[in-house]
Amino acid sequence: MTSSPSPQIAIVGSGPSGCYAAQALLRSLPQAEITIFDRLVSPFGLIRYGVAADHQHTKAITRQFERLFASPGVRFAGGIEVGIDIELPELLDAFDAVVLATGIAEDRALSIPGSELPGVYGAGALIQSLNAHPDAASALPPLGDNVVVIGAGNVALDILRFLVKAESDYLGSDVADDALEAYLRSPAARVTVASRSVAAAAKGDPQMLRELALLPRANYSLIGAPLDAGESSDRTSEARIAALQLLVADDRGSFPGPDVTLGFGLVPRRIVGEGDGDAARVTAVEFDSPDGVVSVPATSVVTAVGFSASGPLAHLLSSPGETGRLSPGLYRTGWAKRGSRGAIPENRACAKSVAEEVAADLAAAPERSGSAARGFDALNASVRDRAVSFDSWLHLDLHEQMAAPEGRVRRKVADLALMRSIAQDGGASGATTSQKGHHS
Amino acid sequence: MNVTVLYGTESGNSELIAEDVGAALRDAGHDAEVYDLQNFDPAELTADRFTIVVCSTHGEGDLPNTAIPFAAAFDAAPPDLTGLRYAMFGLGDTFYEETYSQGSEHIDRRFAAQGATRVGEYGRHDASSWDLGSDVALEWLPGVLEEAAAKVA
Repeated sequence: MTSSPSPQIAIVGSGPSGCYAAQALLRSLPQAEITIFDRLVSPFGLIRYGVAADHQHTKAITRQFERLFASPGVRFAGGIEVGIDIELPELLDAFDAVVLATGIAEDRALSIPGSELPGVYGAGALIQSLNAHPDAASALPPLGDNVVVIGAGNVALDILRFLVKAESDYLGSDVADDALEAYLRSPAARVTVASRSVAAAAKGDPQMLRELALLPRANYSLIGAPLDAGESSDRTSEARIAALQLLVADDRGSFPGPDVTLGFGLVPRRIVGEGDGDAARVTAVEFDSPDGVVSVPATSVVTAVGFSASGPLAHLLSSPGETGRLSPGLYRTGWAKRGSRGAIPENRACAKSVAEEVAADLAAAPERSGSAARGFDALNASVRDRAVSFDSWLHLDLHEQMAAPEGRVRRKVADLALMRSIAQDGGASGATTSQKGHHS
Repeated sequence: MNVTVLYGTESGNSELIAEDVGAALRDAGHDAEVYDLQNFDPAELTADRFTIVVCSTHGEGDLPNTAIPFAAAFDAAPPDLTGLRYAMFGLGDTFYEETYSQGSEHIDRRFAAQGATRVGEYGRHDASSWDLGSDVALEWLPGVLEEAAAKVA
């Protein structure tokens, strides 16, 4: 019985939930040695790939998490996917506790007739393309003249902002220019954003609506339920209504960009298409509204109605949980625990409560695994060698910043193998490959 | 000098700044204690300790959620803060101009109303700037400490 003074903890996912979990665990268990795995070579998950490319102020939270990775008790193991590169039971053997912080990233499908038609796209997938996610298509699909966005939460508003913005509105961003240019060559003429809820109960942050109101782009009008605070007159609802009133105000002025119709109280009934097989395409979306059935012409439909779990651990995350513990030694935090609700900071409080659970369980049963867990060092050499360290990521980080074209803060490398080679060989050969790759 | 550093945070940035400020104070030989506002009783505020508040902004210029119980306890039993000297460091995001850094001002107003005196420049950090909040705070701190020391003498 050797004494094992340092609890070994694995966190799966290096997005905001994983980083907050590591911070909270370091606080509850100062002796802990924490390994943060990520299936991608790069850390920060949703911050890098889910937060819109033109919201750099939100991405600035990585400055806080960079500090975390500099802590002596914290190791980044990038490019290792649990369930593919290493099995979950192996991880549970090697660590005293495993915390799943994978998020949930797959666009939830709309369950109405026609939602499988060509021309129906998930909002998350489009945002990943604009963020140069390695799994996302590098080009956006043609969206056509009439884009219908279903949902009115922050992700839907990210899509709306993308649909109305011009090239010059991306200064200082790290947008994937190939994807952006594909859209800007033939931008939408008309956009409809349809919210099932009335405005007071919609999910979008008032700040995001004010941002749209202040942007000198697009002209807004309203259909469906009127803008009133109704029963729920909390400050956020009032602020949301006020921001929407700014958007549709007669004196807002006339701006270039699409005509945008905002619809509240619109419940999608079906997506209508024409043609068969390869020739099939979307033509309209029908909604139940306070004024009866409304049919909105559509050349494409973007669904922004939440996310569901995907990947090899999805079966563990199919429904939200009250506690962090899934089974002895296995926990979850963030969206993986709560479902796709709430913004980045809410995951901090969630991580604190899960860290307290982990600490209490370890105090009650310090030798859960029976053998002294040895953490990262106990893993197969092949996994250890493959894991991309935080220092290696910093090579890629620097490479991307150096490669930024004018007006951009970064040009992300979207090819997984190239990301790995730039990170792990210090960019010596990777830099050339990247340049060639981009201009060919 | 005896210093209490209080932080109110939503995303963790204020906590990081408060801890860095606390460490810098200790390095300079001060007695510094750092507390999360959610674990701090307003009745504990004392003129014997110079008090630094690091606080972010949430929602519509509101206090961060973790600081709301402190404000509620403060309002339920407003402490007499005569003689208390304090400094404010507010976090916000100029991206959202109209509410920039207003969260901390909710604490500032309460302290001032109860007779406390703010010392030095009102520190601000802008989340849109990519400057690390701690860098900005540690640049701000010496000026505040100088004024605090001058007023003691």
